[in-house]
Amino acid sequence: MTGISRRAFMRAGSLALASFGLEPLFLGRAAYARRGPAAGKTLVCLFQRGAVDGLSLIIPHGDPAYYRERPRIGIPRSDLLDLDGHFGLHPALKALLPRWESGELAAIHAVGSPDTTRSHFDAQDFMESGTPGERATRDGWVNRYVQHHHEHQDTPFRAVAFGPALPLALAGAAPSLAIDDLKSFGLTARGPESSYRLTRAFAELYRGSATGLLSSSSAEAFEAIRMLREADPGQLAPENGADYPRGKLGSNLKQIAQLIKAGLGMEIAFADIGGWDTHVNQGAAAGQLASRLDELGRALAAFADDLGPRMRDVVVLTMSEFGRTVRENGTGGTDHGHGTAMLVLGGGIRGRRVLGRWPGLEPDLRYEGRDLAVTTDFRTLFGEVLVGHLGKTDLTAVFPGFEAGPPLGLFG
Amino acid sequence: MRYLLLSALLGAAIPAASPTDPPSQPARDSAFHLLNRLAYGPTPGQIDAVAREGVLHWIDRQLALGPRSDRNLRDRERSFPLLDTSTEDLGRMFLAARRERKAARRDSTRTRGEGGPMRALASQLPRLAVLRADLAEHQLLEVMADFWTNHFNVFYGKALDRVFLPDYIESTIRPHALGRFADLLLATAKSPAMLVYLDQAQSIAPGSEPPGLRRLRGPGPRRWFSRRPEADSMVSRIRNRMSTGINENYARELLELHTLGVDGGYTQQDVIGVARILTGWSFDRGIRRGGTPGGFVFNDWAHDRGAKQVLGIDFPAGHGRDEGERLLRALADHPATMHHVSAKLCARLVADESPDSCIDLAVATWRRTHGDIAAIVRAIALSPDFWSPRNVAAKIKTPLEFVVSALRAVGADPDTGGAAVAAIARLGQPLFLQSVPTGYPETQEDWVNSAALLARMNFAVALAAGRVPGVRIDLDRIAPSSADPDQWLEALDRQILGGRMTGQTRSVIRAQVATVADPAAARALGLGLALGSPEFQRQ
Repeated sequence: MTGISRRAFMRAGSLALASFGLEPLFLGRAAYARRGPAAGKTLVCLFQRGAVDGLSLIIPHGDPAYYRERPRIGIPRSDLLDLDGHFGLHPALKALLPRWESGELAAIHAVGSPDTTRSHFDAQDFMESGTPGERATRDGWVNRYVQHHHEHQDTPFRAVAFGPALPLALAGAAPSLAIDDLKSFGLTARGPESSYRLTRAFAELYRGSATGLLSSSSAEAFEAIRMLREADPGQLAPENGADYPRGKLGSNLKQIAQLIKAGLGMEIAFADIGGWDTHVNQGAAAGQLASRLDELGRALAAFADDLGPRMRDVVVLTMSEFGRTVRENGTGGTDHGHGTAMLVLGGGIRGRRVLGRWPGLEPDLRYEGRDLAVTTDFRTLFGEVLVGHLGKTDLTAVFPGFEAGPPLGLFG
Repeated sequence: MRYLLLSALLGAAIPAASPTDPPSQPARDSAFHLLNRLAYGPTPGQIDAVAREGVLHWIDRQLALGPRSDRNLRDRERSFPLLDTSTEDLGRMFLAARRERKAARRDSTRTRGEGGPMRALASQLPRLAVLRADLAEHQLLEVMADFWTNHFNVFYGKALDRVFLPDYIESTIRPHALGRFADLLLATAKSPAMLVYLDQAQSIAPGSEPPGLRRLRGPGPRRWFSRRPEADSMVSRIRNRMSTGINENYARELLELHTLGVDGGYTQQDVIGVARILTGWSFDRGIRRGGTPGGFVFNDWAHDRGAKQVLGIDFPAGHGRDEGERLLRALADHPATMHHVSAKLCARLVADESPDSCIDLAVATWRRTHGDIAAIVRAIALSPDFWSPRNVAAKIKTPLEFVVSALRAVGADPDTGGAAVAAIARLGQPLFLQSVPTGYPETQEDWVNSAALLARMNFAVALAAGRVPGVRIDLDRIAPSSADPDQWLEALDRQILGGRMTGQTRSVIRAQVATVADPAAARALGLGLALGSPEFQRQ
């Protein structure tokens, strides 16, 4: 036990300190020479915190146990959007159906963690650290990817989390940004001149006085301010009639699209969407869960519309810490389970398929007789996306000690 | 290390030559550290005052203050009608607001109901929390009330918790914040706020149904035809909305978060056992007369009377409410609980990564005093770990701590407006709105990032410039204007940064202040930079 945590210590000695000299900000250098070409690929991770009910997301309507175990919350065949005769899409996700038809959307079922904890908090940490069962890991798999993959130019935008906090997935030695709102990212003062002066004063102050995490995070912040001032992505309006739903997710995806268009070198974007812990009255075709899915579906569809042909260079991956019980509970909801379903949306994927081995819903096929078993380790999926989309070939540093199973076939 | 502790403890025993003499630097250092951890930072002049009084004396004086005896708060709390509004009245307003919303949805020509009085009262909840943290004389109580509010987190946005949360804070958390852990645990378990938040109120023994429903349906076994069709349709409507079995939500979080901790050695079978033992724990939904509306009720009909086993403890068949209380007392006294909660206390008061020796000391005190929170906190505050130089200024303030300590540092007298509350929310810690039962995290990795740091700098500059609405500050009270900029900087350092200003911060502030012609604006800028500095983010 030391006073300074490992994560903070690792940040303190990182390249962030050395590589982001603050001079360009003050000299007002016109072009940022260190920025790479804008043609990079981007992975967008959406974390559905609270454990989404995968059996409602991608409905196994062909499995006889499904309707038997869910008399109140099962989604009737007449309501769901059938995908392949066995699985169906939740009707609230209808905005995504065109993307399914065009082969840009795939689902992976019975995916999850080999660790069987039913604690949200442990399971989220494991999915973000990428080391299930290893609670000592203090950095995230996204950060380790950035640390060990240097084909792209280093910019503070390589890994960006949207929201007021930096999630564990992005924490670690490599630079990573948390942005709550692009428009208000920076120091506010009366007029751009005062704002510039204030930024310069704080930058100098932090460069000399800050230590540890305060030092690296502030250096990244001031560099990001400089780049945003020059690129000004906030003024880029949604294209192709994209209609983002109101709310945090729509706003975050809209800003992720702006950053992609601005070409600031963002490789991985990360955003959260909550409200999935449906213990009570989760509803069926309509209701609590349906309204969350509706927001998710419309936001993703708007994002794909907005980016248009750029979607060839973008993959969106949804994830959630675990799934929920096969059988509905006593309060019209579901309790913490094991396997769940994840979605992959992208212009360059082989979609229109539900991937992964389906373990079945009969009691003897379930995990502990109650939960959907996990047949695909989430690292197999995440790793395949890193390799197939971002071109990362060596995963040993990203998912240490993990031997990936056979590929799901999302790419190629 | 020993020197800092000794000088801290002996502060009062070595009287200064005269009460106006400045106290020694080690005594000031100790007072500053103490006020950063057991209070929301010093107010102007408070470092010197506590340095003179002595750290030990300050702690014991804080612990001797009774609840609801805070002279600083008594008058200010009167401006919060929320404190005079009963749960029953809040419930009525909640239902009225809901009816209004429904009516507005049905009739699009009507303007959307704003939930008027309900919304106005609700906004007082976080404002009151900030005002108390800022102004209370009984700072340690406020710190611990926040700690337990977070440990036993309840989300304001969950259904009836809009009604129950104010009373939860006033009657469940605050009276026990420095009391016994077991009492606090039982109070939270029986609070309507928690019963709603983690769905316990809906968890019932499978197959059980309320007596009212049975009466409605008529006696005896279900008949193949019904003589009361309208009653039958009502029964089926109710049954469709009703619970039909247990819900594990509270049982799991009780073990994982409130008591044993995730490594506390429980199994899924224990979770189910706890859920069964607590079936029937609910709250008065105001249907029946008598009893406190919104108070705890035990529904015998919903209770699973079978035998259970939890953590190897047998709970024989045939028991009711008593077995739940027995379970909670066993959990409160469990070694894993002592360890888990002590580690959280050490993380809050000492260092992000709780030192083992701090946890051991807290656990030993817990055992000796049967979970007396005041005694445990006192033991931690007097421990070598608390005073170790390695742990001084080692923690980063949470958004709440940052904003409130800035308000206190400048001696701000906030009105009851919401500007400070909004600032805390912008920094990532919207009060009472943490939806997950973990509460807010305590470690620096969770709070330090690019966006959050910029937001802190923005708040610092706005506060110093008097641009935070409803917060008045008096620049002269912090550091009297002086012809000599170095003298002024010296005073700024002593008051705001406890003497920890680095050479770089000093020279940047000096250079910046020199560029501003208007003296008041210059001082405001200097203060803003000090409050936004890395030094002020630490505690």
